[in-house]
Amino acid sequence: MWNLNELKSELKSHAQVKSWMITQENVHRRERYFMMDKAALVVDQDRNVHSQNIQVKIAVKLPGHPDRQGEISKKLFPAMPLKPQIESAIEAALQTDHKAWNLPSEIPQDLPVLQTTDPRMAEDLDSVTDQVTKRISQVVAKKKDTAFNSAELFLSVHNREFYLSNGLSHRSSQSRVYIEAAYSFAKKNAQGELESDEYLNTRWGVNFDDLALEEMFEETSDRAQHSLGLDKPVTGKYPVIIDADVLSTLFYSHVSQLSSANAYNELPSIAVGAEFIPESTGDLLTVTLDPSMPYGGDTIALSEQGLLQKPVKIVDKNRVISSLTDKQFADYLNKPATTSRGNVVVEPGQLNYSELTKHAPRVLEILQFSGLFVDPYSGTFSSEIRLARVYDNTKGTVSYIKGGSLSGSIRENFKGIRLSKNRIKRAHFESNSNQGHGYFGPDYALLSDVSIVG
Amino acid sequence: MPSQMATPSFQRAPLSADLTELRKVLPELLPILEAKSDWYGSILLERRSSKTYTANLKQTQMSENVSMGIVLRIYDGYTLFEQATDDIQADSLKKFALEFADRVSKSAAPSGATLRPYRPVSWKERLKANLDIEITSQISPEASAKAPVHFGVQFSRTPRQTTQQYFEQLKSIIHRCQALAPAAELESKELSFVMARQSFAEEESVFIDREANMSQTLYRIALTVITMSGADRTFMRLGGLGGLEVVDFTDTDLTEMLGNLKALKSAHKLDPGKYRVLFGPVLTGVLAHEAFGHSQEADTCARGRSKAWDLHKSGAIVGNEHATILNNPAIFSNGGKGYAAWGSYFFDEEGWLATEQVLLDKGVLRAPMTNLTSAIRLNIPRTANGKRESWANGVYTRQTNTYFSPGNKTLDELMSDLGDGFLALHPAGGMEDPKGMGIQVGISYLQEVKGGQLTGRVYKGPAGGDIQMTGYTPDVLNQIVAKSKIEFNTKAPDTAKHPFNDAGGCGKYHKEFVFAGCGGPYVLLDQVILG
Repeated sequence: MWNLNELKSELKSHAQVKSWMITQENVHRRERYFMMDKAALVVDQDRNVHSQNIQVKIAVKLPGHPDRQGEISKKLFPAMPLKPQIESAIEAALQTDHKAWNLPSEIPQDLPVLQTTDPRMAEDLDSVTDQVTKRISQVVAKKKDTAFNSAELFLSVHNREFYLSNGLSHRSSQSRVYIEAAYSFAKKNAQGELESDEYLNTRWGVNFDDLALEEMFEETSDRAQHSLGLDKPVTGKYPVIIDADVLSTLFYSHVSQLSSANAYNELPSIAVGAEFIPESTGDLLTVTLDPSMPYGGDTIALSEQGLLQKPVKIVDKNRVISSLTDKQFADYLNKPATTSRGNVVVEPGQLNYSELTKHAPRVLEILQFSGLFVDPYSGTFSSEIRLARVYDNTKGTVSYIKGGSLSGSIRENFKGIRLSKNRIKRAHFESNSNQGHGYFGPDYALLSDVSIVG
Repeated sequence: MPSQMATPSFQRAPLSADLTELRKVLPELLPILEAKSDWYGSILLERRSSKTYTANLKQTQMSENVSMGIVLRIYDGYTLFEQATDDIQADSLKKFALEFADRVSKSAAPSGATLRPYRPVSWKERLKANLDIEITSQISPEASAKAPVHFGVQFSRTPRQTTQQYFEQLKSIIHRCQALAPAAELESKELSFVMARQSFAEEESVFIDREANMSQTLYRIALTVITMSGADRTFMRLGGLGGLEVVDFTDTDLTEMLGNLKALKSAHKLDPGKYRVLFGPVLTGVLAHEAFGHSQEADTCARGRSKAWDLHKSGAIVGNEHATILNNPAIFSNGGKGYAAWGSYFFDEEGWLATEQVLLDKGVLRAPMTNLTSAIRLNIPRTANGKRESWANGVYTRQTNTYFSPGNKTLDELMSDLGDGFLALHPAGGMEDPKGMGIQVGISYLQEVKGGQLTGRVYKGPAGGDIQMTGYTPDVLNQIVAKSKIEFNTKAPDTAKHPFNDAGGCGKYHKEFVFAGCGGPYVLLDQVILG
């Protein structure tokens, strides 16, 4: 087994190596799957995982081509000899071809102290696992008209070390929490047959308290009770309320068009100075990328290329005022580097939730999509409707629907957007990415003229 | 009937020397994992090494990934405990196992729960299953816990090329796309982005319990080509298990992709409604997967979260005579081609040998797919569907290759039967709803058909994006009009045993990504809701 100092020495010993970035991440994960065995709550699976990931990105000089460089990203395995891993990486990197760029010449000083890890999880993950298990047992034990089906609890703490060949070194950590709960509801229909349906709720967070576990289980049970025997929506165009989870997904997708990587690769992008939503007539959006937000999904001090990340307003009253440019694309496009990582923070609107539901004669509120797919290039999105509420303000009724699908476009359906005045925090993590998503913004938004088929 | 046999021109993927050595010390851990009489101990050692090569109009890049870890497992009759690490030095594993056993021994039995002990099966019992000859031919008659068995996927053209060779091929694809663009009436400036990516992964695993000591090595090859014009995008994806023969394609494939890109630039927006649609193989795979694939996952059933379990027990009819769906991890000749399908393997990650399983038989639900704990909880037979995203993730019941059984029509006949409607070939995700029986199948775009002929017009969704097919699953399965043969371009009897399965992926609801094969015959559906 080799260590990071030996890795750095090995990289320095190769004349072809121009620069390198090393990330080491030690992860401790605890996972439990809960379900019912007749009347007893049982743990179906209980997992305890320790892992270490060492990732190195190496840039090499390409002989005779000073304006080009080779690059490779490689995961190293400490149980395998170091030298052959590095030599094969360099050999492979020499076969690749990138426009040359340089790591920052200055090393950031006085990095901010950020809240990225739930202190209880950092101290004792096993204890937190047991405590949450107890809370799940208590909430599941509450008598309800619905039936608890299952839950999953994933807790992890990620400790990272980060080293660049320009001399930068940095340590950070992050905690992650995932909880899902499923309840079902059953009743006999008019023919005397027993029908049932369920509601599955999932939530990610960094600090456990942000998940509001008991409230989440209650909401899941309540929505399960409203999921049964529902009609599909009537086909047409609707004003549609979406929640913070959906807003987070859509904003992250659309903000990616501000990336200089898109501009360089001639992928769809929105230039500085352009309207974020063309011809907007609704609330004018103001968006900040904030890498310092406490317990955000993408709260981070440094970009992966070693630049200090500070809050930056990227959209001001619907006008794009900054691109997202890490050092590589700053060099490529000969423009200043900017913050490129952070949580998406959206300024609130003027209306409360109730006012949004009354904003048109008939308003449809999406409670859950089945599988929301967003195209980051066209800004279109679509999904089956898992559960929704229809506010018929002419009749004064509220009804639930299920099924059918929604088809939308950020460029079109955000034109008349109205945002709620309350803000909420959301986080999301993908298992195949180190970069999480964080959102702090309106808890609801009303979109206009959204196509629905029932 | 056996699938295509390995010919002398094929080689088999071996187990690496270092894992062969490490495997020798693992059985010593089993007594620790079975320290108590009710405990069933098992071990999974896994290594996935991959290299990905990418080229676009501006650069070439490469990434290498290695993920290796060991999972120690104790099932105590109530709970499956797992302890996993990537510290796989032989001298530290015993300490790791002892710590794990201590953790499990301190765990109290859940109050009110039923004790369901498990006894592992012997080789004699394993060989009673209807196994493919690709599996049985690699099992020695002396196989036992002390006589290891290795399964290697067959391949003909080695994927162990140099980095330079991979990049030359990818650059050639990009140049071919540029050269073929005019034939698709695309001006060079309209082809704004072209990317070709090829990956080669070597997936090795070892499973050990008190009855068996098995290993397998799979070579996973994939090639993706993406072309874009502004925000419009078309792609070609090839993938399977074997050698470079998996990613063979022709200029006709590229020209078709570029032609579709040109057509997308003037695409119409679909009016939401009900349509007659001919689904291509990949989309029928998604339909099968989301319909009675996910709802036939026994862990979902055991959690009370699938209506399929009740419908199976009641014998209810949930589809017409065309509605037959299979799951099969043992497709070693994909659509009659000489390599294995993307979702195949020899045994799952809990050591169960792969077999074909009928999930839905002419509208009648059969028993669901299982992993270890769900089979025990529901008291139904185990199947080889215990899968995990990686050694660091938990095991669930997951699909492998899921598809409709073939029908008897040629593609020309189905196009004629379609008459006026749409041809849907390009998938855009999907989602399950096992309890509510809803279904979502995403379609990138539709090709219009009039009088059984393609008109050249294409349609996007009502907002200009993907189109979603939705509905109540039994309704959709009752709307199947006809299905194609496996070899859909000829009336001659099919020679291939299984339909072709393309390369796809699958999440359990919103997480736990695994590879899954996705294919089948063409399926003609009537009155399908599209929006």
